[in-house]
Amino acid sequence: MAPSVKKYISLGKMSMQNSIAYRGNFLISITVSVFWAIAMFYLWKAIFDGRGQLSGFTWEEMKAYLLITFITNSLLSWYNETRISWKILDGSVAMDLLKPLDFQKARLAETLGTSVFEGGVSVMMMCIVLFVFAGIMMPPDALSWVLFFVSLMSSLLIKFCVVYIAGLFCFWTSSPFGVAWMRAAVTNLFSGALVPLSFFPGWLKSVALLLPFQGIVHTPASIYLGRIGGMELVHYLGVQLFWVAVLWFVGKRMWHRAVRQVTIHGG
Amino acid sequence: MAWKRAVYIYFRLVTQHVKAILEYQSDFLIAMAAAMVTQVLGFIFLWVVYQRIPHIQGWEFWEVAFIYAMMFFTTGFGQLFFEGAWRISGLVNSGMLDRVLLRPVSPVLQVLGSAAGMNGLGNILVGGTMLIQSLRHVDIHWTAEKIFVGVILFFSAVVIRVSIFLASNCITFWTHAPGNAFPNMISNLSEFSKYPISIYSFIIQVFFSTLIPYAFISFFPAAYLFEKDNWHHIGLLTPLVAVYSAAAAFWIFRKGLAKYESVGN
Repeated sequence: MAPSVKKYISLGKMSMQNSIAYRGNFLISITVSVFWAIAMFYLWKAIFDGRGQLSGFTWEEMKAYLLITFITNSLLSWYNETRISWKILDGSVAMDLLKPLDFQKARLAETLGTSVFEGGVSVMMMCIVLFVFAGIMMPPDALSWVLFFVSLMSSLLIKFCVVYIAGLFCFWTSSPFGVAWMRAAVTNLFSGALVPLSFFPGWLKSVALLLPFQGIVHTPASIYLGRIGGMELVHYLGVQLFWVAVLWFVGKRMWHRAVRQVTIHGG
Repeated sequence: MAWKRAVYIYFRLVTQHVKAILEYQSDFLIAMAAAMVTQVLGFIFLWVVYQRIPHIQGWEFWEVAFIYAMMFFTTGFGQLFFEGAWRISGLVNSGMLDRVLLRPVSPVLQVLGSAAGMNGLGNILVGGTMLIQSLRHVDIHWTAEKIFVGVILFFSAVVIRVSIFLASNCITFWTHAPGNAFPNMISNLSEFSKYPISIYSFIIQVFFSTLIPYAFISFFPAAYLFEKDNWHHIGLLTPLVAVYSAAAAFWIFRKGLAKYESVGN
């Protein structure tokens, strides 16, 4: 294995161990996710109000959809997100500029590290819920499960890129929470986390499908529920990867721009 | 009069913070914009849902919008005028609370006035607009009594929100935990009261009506104004809940302060 990759892997390992050690933060984070999931469950139950289906979703499908939203939400916790912004704000980014590491790749390694732990716990919780509560939909076959997990990975990467780019804005402002809140609000709506995209009126749905956020919830959920198959599925997976590449590149360019500005100003 | 002076000093404290913040204009705008964007997107979510259904358990779009806006408005009020509560954890853990105690002004006022959150302004602006819009769109039978009670309920709601906010931040007096994890969690629970509590299970309804009375900020005042059967009379209890919340919050703060001082700080 190339020595450079080893560096990132050990960074990831450290990050994972860190999140296990400081699991208090994670527990709070996941408790909040659970509260949100419970509130959404009751809200959607009231919205469906005994109807067989709404906007092409059955109540069984909706329950599974909420579970997937929970998973994708907990794959990259709030704590994880603000960590990148704080690094920039408290100046420790100066140290990182000295290290022989690519800032973006290093942050990805850290994120993946914590996600192993956080994602692992969330998936465990999901399995428990699936066992305890009968009547929640599951993918029809093993292939769908595999494709679902592939899509989930892409979803994590997209979310990382979005969070990373949002975090970079801290070079130009000292209000990390403001930027993070806005990012969360936009992501939540346009990813389908709040309401499935099929509920959107036509024009809004078209807008949502043009944005990267749909790759975070809408795509993995659609695969899980078996709502897309064949070429359409391949297309959606491809779109996810497309956005990962584009956003990664944007993040890279922004980073170089930010560093140039900082060094010019003797930062 | 002592309380007049207290209010004057409080006002000066908060305006100093606002002035300081205005100097960092971009941060001020971003915080405000973030709150406004979050709220507006929330309303779009509600609107999208209501395109498909006529009502949620008898609650129409503008009625739910009112509940939603009440949570944001009251939260914004707390963020703008009482942001200092978030600083309690820092003050306690660094021992800086001593300086506060030495000054001849009520410690509660000093602490609460030690910061001003500009996102609060954004929440107040959007929330206020949505409140007015929803009141215009809902078919309410206005009477003099209703207007009078409505105003009282409104102020009560704000008091309750700020009380919960202050009380939850006092936990550091006992846990000495750094950061604001617990009050953040309590704040996140307000998500539940953005929708009519009639949709939840009984236990959840009781919880948000008694232990952490978020329901009296949004749901019960709305039930009173819109004359929702079963719930509407409970709305009249709101001022009582406000008094109880404020008293409890002050009591908790006092207790916490006593503990802080007793550890020889």
